[in-house]
Amino acid sequence: MSLTAPAIRLQNVTQCFRVIQERPDTVRELFSKLFRRQSSYHNFEAVKNVSFEVPAGQMLGIIGRNGSGKSTLLKIVAGVYRPTSGTVKVNGSLAPLIELGAGFHHELTGRENILLNGLLMGYSKREMLERQQRIIEFADIGDFIDAPVKQYSSGMYMRLAFAVATEVDPQILLVDEILAVGDAGFQEKCFERIRKFREAGKTILFVTHAMSDVQEHCERVLLLEQGSIVMDSSPEATIAMYKSLITPELAAAH
Amino acid sequence: MTELIRDSYRYRELIWALALKELKIRYKRSVLGFMWALLNPALLMVVLTLVFSTIMRFNIPHYAIFLLSVLLPWTFFSQSLSYAVEAIVTNGDLIKKVAVPKLVFPMAALVSNIINLLLSLIPLAILVPLLRHPFYWTWIYLPVPLVALAIFTLGMSFFFAVANVFYRDVAHILQILLSAWFYLTPIIYPLDAIPAKYHWFFKLNPILFVINGFRLSVYYGLLPKAPSIIASFVCAFISLIIGFSIFRRYQDNFVFYV
Repeated sequence: MSLTAPAIRLQNVTQCFRVIQERPDTVRELFSKLFRRQSSYHNFEAVKNVSFEVPAGQMLGIIGRNGSGKSTLLKIVAGVYRPTSGTVKVNGSLAPLIELGAGFHHELTGRENILLNGLLMGYSKREMLERQQRIIEFADIGDFIDAPVKQYSSGMYMRLAFAVATEVDPQILLVDEILAVGDAGFQEKCFERIRKFREAGKTILFVTHAMSDVQEHCERVLLLEQGSIVMDSSPEATIAMYKSLITPELAAAH
Repeated sequence: MTELIRDSYRYRELIWALALKELKIRYKRSVLGFMWALLNPALLMVVLTLVFSTIMRFNIPHYAIFLLSVLLPWTFFSQSLSYAVEAIVTNGDLIKKVAVPKLVFPMAALVSNIINLLLSLIPLAILVPLLRHPFYWTWIYLPVPLVALAIFTLGMSFFFAVANVFYRDVAHILQILLSAWFYLTPIIYPLDAIPAKYHWFFKLNPILFVINGFRLSVYYGLLPKAPSIIASFVCAFISLIIGFSIFRRYQDNFVFYV
């Protein structure tokens, strides 16, 4: 056993989805399956045979066009999807910042949601109560903390979600294109926290379309295209490759 | 089955929080709030008592108690299933975004309805002396049929929660099924009202033994006989084992269908 066992390791991971074509989830589909042996869906491989390792402490950027499989890949690492084939190994506690406040319930207050969200991530009530004050301070949304989250602006929503996910002190953080919502001040606060995470030797997977953030924060970047890794290299090299991929599209737009 | 116990224990705080959330949301923004959990069954009881003591008279003394002693557990059963059938589908957004054990959702539906059932027993306990029906010591036996009922309901909850993920028709079918089941179960009538030659058919009904414990101890002041108790637990565990095995088998696919 080496001391630097990878924090994340994916081996030959493939993720298939059924793309539903027409009125799927009724008894009709059952009958069509039984009698016509014909289905109303086809399989779509969102992630194809992907393998990579992330050493502990690395900040890995993942870039690619819309629909290239970035978010699916993060969800596989987060354990939301069990891949169709291949293996996923994650060493250490993990906090997904994949979709803003996924566990938030609109009718509950911010304070109630902090607890619920923490429990959903697998923390205990006691752990969450201990951290509650710091979460509220970081989110910095004032009296709104005791209002139902349906009254929040999207920025406030995000502040609270980010505060909950990062205050629980995970060893691995998955960040998916979410920092774009907050104002400049809060974004700076988030990146400040991400910097601290990195100093503490934590592992971060960072999905974004903001190339400047990738350039500034990541030490290694993957480029995904149609579900496969087409490049795994330094930020400069991968970003250059990505730009060459999207150039035809940009040209067509003009 | 060990997985069920282990995960329910590990996520007990989450299950509890989700169940409370359910109740909180149900009563939120109503002036009386949580009081409705008590008022609802209480008012239902007033209506039933009035109807059956003045308009429709049965040859059964204290018919309201006779009825309520099994109507309350039945309401728990049918309401739990109505919640559970949607438990996975309505939490679809969550399941698609957070890695969370899926069993917490049907469990939370069950727990919130157990709380409702327990609260509805309070007005019943008040009604019994009000109608001058004897208050039997056999009330203390109630936890036994309650546990059997909860286990039975949980198994069915798992089954319907899964089925509805794959075929949304199930939620509609369930409602029809529940109303047919309601009339086929001796709830508004005693089993004796059925000709003896059909009794075998009624005794195939798995919920009969479970629910009968409630009527015996609250209305008759009797304890069920051992075979009936055993039968109720056998039914309960068969339901749980089948329901949970199906749930476990398909839970990883939920995320693709919600």
